[in-house]
Amino acid sequence: MTTAAQPAKVSVNRLAEAIDPTFRQIRDLVYKVSGIYQAEEKLYLLADGCGRRIKQLNLKTPREYWDHLTVHPSRDGELRQLLNEITIGETCLFRSQPQLDALRKVILPEMINERTRQITKRLRIWSAGCSTGEEPYTLAMNMLEESEGLLKGWNIEILATDLNDRSVEAAKAGIYGDYALRATPELFKRKYFSAANDKKLEVRPEVKKMIAFSRLNLQDDSRMLFMKGMDLIFCCNVLIYFDGVSKGKVIDHYYGNLNFGGYLFLGTSESLLNLNDKFHLVHFPGAIAYWKPSLKSGKL
Amino acid sequence: MSASLQDKLRQGVENIETTPAIPAVVLPLLDLLNLPADKVNLDQVVKLVSYDNTIAAQCLRVASSPIFGLAKSPESIKAAVISLGLRRVETILLTCCMGKAFPAKKWALDPIVFWRHSLGCAMVCRKFSEKLGGADSDKAYTAGLLHDIGFLVNCMAFPKEFTAAIAYAAEKQVPFDRAESEKMGFTHCESGRALAEKWNLSPDIVEVVAYHHEPQKSVAAPGLVALVHLSDLLCRMRNLGYGYYERQKVDLLSDPAWAVLAEGHRALDGVDLVRFTFELDEAVEKIYEMVSMIFGSMAVGRAG
Repeated sequence: MTTAAQPAKVSVNRLAEAIDPTFRQIRDLVYKVSGIYQAEEKLYLLADGCGRRIKQLNLKTPREYWDHLTVHPSRDGELRQLLNEITIGETCLFRSQPQLDALRKVILPEMINERTRQITKRLRIWSAGCSTGEEPYTLAMNMLEESEGLLKGWNIEILATDLNDRSVEAAKAGIYGDYALRATPELFKRKYFSAANDKKLEVRPEVKKMIAFSRLNLQDDSRMLFMKGMDLIFCCNVLIYFDGVSKGKVIDHYYGNLNFGGYLFLGTSESLLNLNDKFHLVHFPGAIAYWKPSLKSGKL
Repeated sequence: MSASLQDKLRQGVENIETTPAIPAVVLPLLDLLNLPADKVNLDQVVKLVSYDNTIAAQCLRVASSPIFGLAKSPESIKAAVISLGLRRVETILLTCCMGKAFPAKKWALDPIVFWRHSLGCAMVCRKFSEKLGGADSDKAYTAGLLHDIGFLVNCMAFPKEFTAAIAYAAEKQVPFDRAESEKMGFTHCESGRALAEKWNLSPDIVEVVAYHHEPQKSVAAPGLVALVHLSDLLCRMRNLGYGYYERQKVDLLSDPAWAVLAEGHRALDGVDLVRFTFELDEAVEKIYEMVSMIFGSMAVGRAG
């Protein structure tokens, strides 16, 4: 799937010749443990990431690194390091256009249609693990685009949380450089940003005021229980760092946090790995989401 | 469907039969594709490929392309068959033949988009079938490749009405089959069935062509029809659709076809659908390249 943030495509075939088969084994291990799938055309990113770790660990071959990831006493920590290497720099605004299309073209019309009789016209969106704010601002801008159309008369609340205080502060500031803005359409840059220092752009106040930022640990059960009434949860490349049990717990919380008919979106190459059987896996053109079936649909 | 519509459909299919462009190799080739790989005679395939000069040349050109990763370009058809493997050669051959049989200039539907979808669906069907441990993965491949042949009939025999149906589908954002019903009185499933029967394709393939949008109607091959139905949906959600945004969400696991498939295949429970989707994405680029190459030399009048 082509997402705006993907690097230029390299011929699949040329890569297939050059890649050590061990990297495919590592790819499978990474998927099994974290749910992140490195597609064939992105295997070179995995190979680069492993290469950097191999160098730092003074190892010689991918095979030795495989042992390090599988039998070495520090294997769990090493896997985390590797995940950092391969997901680094992935964050940017407008990271997944197919997800945004699914939201605006399919989900919003569906939700609005289902709630025509409700008195309170409110949508609650949660960006869980929002890092430095790229995702919640992208969502806010897309919601603003619909504010005179589909969402006329609707109240949109966006919550954005992250474990890291510094990330939350940076998110609140909302100042981004070229790299973070590489996938942002010009129209959005002109409409929703103003010039800041060092040729950077700052998100305009009307976008900022749509979002409530706060610090939250997803493993804090008591606080997770209070995140009620969500219609959409976006949680991209966050769960990959959790072990199976903690991940299962967070996903159960998400299920409880969502309203019936709500959706959970993960990263574009990320899977829940069957850790929850209540969510329905649904496909949109180019995007995957996990759906908490609506009461009306009878699919519970 | 009324009797007069049925007559119209039959007449349309008759006309296709009489077009000189249908290479004689198509039908024997379809028969070969239905055989298990170990029953296929290599010389038979070589003979089929060599039957038509232009098709043979095109097969060699495709076989030499970097997407197949051969160290050196095959110099003869036999070398191509040996180095690429029977199944790949058959796919290349079938696609080349079909491309020739249905000339680009007459198409209301972009042939590149059509073949991307058909080849994509064929590949997904085969992979899906393999994951289920099915012995019929070659049959599944053929079924996927041919499920939408009704669109070819529509393009060839009813170009005006079909063009109107496509425009209607795009404008009203409705599925093709609904637009066809409203604008033509029949769908590609019905016109495809007429051609499949005319070609004497096996009864299970006929059912796939006829019922891939209504799998519950299948009697002779419910499992195969369900498999194609699900693969078709998945392709349309992953950049192998008909080139327009389908405003829908697809819940494959709740689709009745999934339950039908699960009845006959215990292994379905163990299929990781998300990973399967990611793997499909990996193949999309290859499919695009292959189809562009096959149609590269043809006069394709419409842009995707």
